[in-house]
Amino acid sequence: MTLAITLIIFAALALATILGVTVSRGLRLSEGSGETRIQPVDVEAFRNLVNPTEDEHLRRRLPAADFRHVRRVRLRAAAAYVRVVGRNAAILVTIGQSAMSSSNAQTAEAAHRLVEQGLLLRRNAAMALFRIYIALAWPDAGLAAQPILDGYRDLSGTAMLLGRLQNPAQPVRISSY
Amino acid sequence: MLQAHSLLWHYLWIGPNALLLIFAAILWRRGLYRIYPSFFAFAILSSLGEFTVYVADLASSVTPEVWWRVFWAVLGIEGLLKFALIAEIFGKVVDSYSAIAKLGKFLIRAVGGALVLAAALLAALAPNDSRFGIINGAHLLQQAVYLLETGLLAFIFVFSWYFGVRMGRPIFGISIGLAISACVQLATWAIAANGVLPPTNRTVLDFVNMATYNGCVLIWFYYLLVHQNIVVKPLLPPADSNLDLWNRELERLLQ
Repeated sequence: MTLAITLIIFAALALATILGVTVSRGLRLSEGSGETRIQPVDVEAFRNLVNPTEDEHLRRRLPAADFRHVRRVRLRAAAAYVRVVGRNAAILVTIGQSAMSSSNAQTAEAAHRLVEQGLLLRRNAAMALFRIYIALAWPDAGLAAQPILDGYRDLSGTAMLLGRLQNPAQPVRISSY
Repeated sequence: MLQAHSLLWHYLWIGPNALLLIFAAILWRRGLYRIYPSFFAFAILSSLGEFTVYVADLASSVTPEVWWRVFWAVLGIEGLLKFALIAEIFGKVVDSYSAIAKLGKFLIRAVGGALVLAAALLAALAPNDSRFGIINGAHLLQQAVYLLETGLLAFIFVFSWYFGVRMGRPIFGISIGLAISACVQLATWAIAANGVLPPTNRTVLDFVNMATYNGCVLIWFYYLLVHQNIVVKPLLPPADSNLDLWNRELERLLQ
């Protein structure tokens, strides 16, 4: 009886997950939905948070207990940044996928590159988040976040290229606005 | 009405499988069997297998033991076809994206391994009536197949959702139909395999399974055949505001 109930619960949860994912995907893809908007990320602040030199400096200056507390606060802030970066990557993957079937070969190629880079960044963000959570449990552990920063930079370039290819009439602003 | 060999019972057993054979013929005519070979093989072989079991059920010359042997054989073939189909679905979702293909394959193997262990454990813990070993075994095998199928399909949905990878309408249709059928049948076979209902009341479970499968075949028709004639609008045309925001981010990055 217990086994049957366990399996029924598993089946119900799986069905709810599958249907939930389908509905949430539909909402995420719908035009004008708030979630589809890219959130700006302060890369410099993020770089500062995951800078090993800064961590080392804090370790030398603060008592061990204080260092662990400060490090945890910094890691939580870094996790928030990584989550936003991952979400932005997913949005750009969606944008790229909708442009992949373009009849213009250049646009389709740029879209494919954007999707690949977005997926790579999303994967790296998930792994970085995992490492941040481990570091939260063991604040003395190291943290490798450089792939996130590099990936984000590459993704920005490709997104810009795709934007330029899709709207050639509209100049892409790189300098001040 | 909810009795074995009632008119509804005959329709629910024959109807979806006849539809699936017609569906396979349409796939063949439209050349879609080249794009979805495992699904095409599944549509033909599973419906022929079900017809065999149905005929064996009606034939008075077939003893119960022979019927269960036929059932076992069809179950084994259907199970293999379903796993080939799941591999085809997953391949279509991740293979064109090198960034996640390797990670995806590693994760699905890990999930598959864990599900095999769970299925074996649950089968070992299930009550075993040695008088009807062949029947118990069939129920446990069904339970194991549906547990694996449900888990793997749920993983594919979550994985593609997490990475924002679009499945494409036909693959989504195949997956959602298969997933609904697997989840419902897992629950019903869990009830059958663990002796929750007395054998006399188990016909109700057959009706639930057959009605669900009927619905799933209609889902496959809808997603693979009806929607092919509709021009699909790009899901999310890049909005200017998004690109502007992105450019602003880039500016900040370049400073």
